Amino acid sequence: MNSMTLYVDRDSLIHKQLAPLTKALYVLVSIAVSYIIPSLTVALILTFISALILILGKVFRNILPVLALSILLVASVIIVQGFFHPENQTELFRIGAVVFYKEGLYYASLIAVRIINMIMAFGILIFTTAHDELVESMIKKGLSAKIGYVLLSVLQLIPQMKATMDKITDAQRSRGMETEGNLLVRMKAFFPLIGPVVLNSLSNTRERAIALEIRGFDSGIQKNFLNLSKEYHYQAAIQIILWLTLVLAIVWRVLP
Amino acid sequence: MKKKSVWSLNLSTAAIALVPTAIGINYLGKLFAGVLKLPVWLDSIGTVLASMLAGPIIGALSGIINNIIFGITADPISTVYAITSGAIGLSVGYMSYKGWLKNMKTAVLMGLIVGFIAAIISTPLNIIFWGGQTGNVWGDTFYAYLVSSGFPVWLASFGDSVVVDVPDKIVTVIFSYLIFKGLPNNFISIFRGSEGIEEL
Repeated sequence: MNSMTLYVDRDSLIHKQLAPLTKALYVLVSIAVSYIIPSLTVALILTFISALILILGKVFRNILPVLALSILLVASVIIVQGFFHPENQTELFRIGAVVFYKEGLYYASLIAVRIINMIMAFGILIFTTAHDELVESMIKKGLSAKIGYVLLSVLQLIPQMKATMDKITDAQRSRGMETEGNLLVRMKAFFPLIGPVVLNSLSNTRERAIALEIRGFDSGIQKNFLNLSKEYHYQAAIQIILWLTLVLAIVWRVLP
Repeated sequence: MKKKSVWSLNLSTAAIALVPTAIGINYLGKLFAGVLKLPVWLDSIGTVLASMLAGPIIGALSGIINNIIFGITADPISTVYAITSGAIGLSVGYMSYKGWLKNMKTAVLMGLIVGFIAAIISTPLNIIFWGGQTGNVWGDTFYAYLVSSGFPVWLASFGDSVVVDVPDKIVTVIFSYLIFKGLPNNFISIFRGSEGIEEL
């Protein structure tokens, strides 16, 4: 079935040897440490590690379009902080009357590197973990099976709704709906577009609820799993190292 | 039939099945707003509608899961705002149950309040994660203006969030209200939990 995912199926160390939850923990620790320790060097090292893992997972190229999405935020941070950061003192260069400062640039690059690290760390989880495997292992760890259902069904539902959306857009256009023009015309066009999708999907929701109910969705009986879970080795050791890193970072920050 | 509390965690199957739908509607709202080149995102219509239909718990759940799902399928940065989305769902759900869906006036007021709640919660997140900015051109211009005229960073950042969030949330709540009013009554009763699907 068509599903919304960025997962890339590759034969790599990261795909095969790391459990989904270990990767999720890495995302958490890597982002947390980069924000706990206010140092550009540490942030750069963390980004380097994330990039290295992406390369090991053979998915480094896939992260680039995701990084591109955040270019606007990064550029905006660099420009605004460079010119207007409150601690600005040392002049770097000037354009006309406005001065670009060194302190602002340092601060902005720290934030920019943290953002890049955040995206890359997430990338490791997104690109190398099939989402059903991730959700199943979260359910085994105690996540409610109902929430698990919600998470997985969203990914299947969105492509379906997108198909409905294309159908409705075509239908309304053929009836002469204007989608271009001034703001008011475009605002008005929003309702004939979203209205039918909402009604359609709400009535589907009702049908889905009945179907789920028939299949014992609400029963309190212990549920078992369709897919055999993969075996991973040394996960506990890796997870302990990650937790220790996080604790060390906090201790380093708290101690004067 | 016994009427359940607004905060009941005993959710009906229909209410849970509403969560993925709400997230789908969020996604389509954003797409349509893009297609029509509207100056707002409208990416929380589903969350707001779900909160109006099924209350604060389902609303909050839709908001949080919405941002997590987008974090792991499209844009990791949106995960940061899961708390904001959750708060939007919580506040809309609560206000709807308190009877704020009476007429257009209360709906507009609700949009205003939700916009400010969203801004208040986004501000500390923006400061922690990106030094106070939002990445939105208008908001960040306003931020730069406030900081350069000597306002503290938290106030400038709050101003930035207000410029970005409040107009969007007002339009979102108004649109959701209009859609909600157009829904057949039997849709509404299914999700409210007082007439659960199990009694069919």
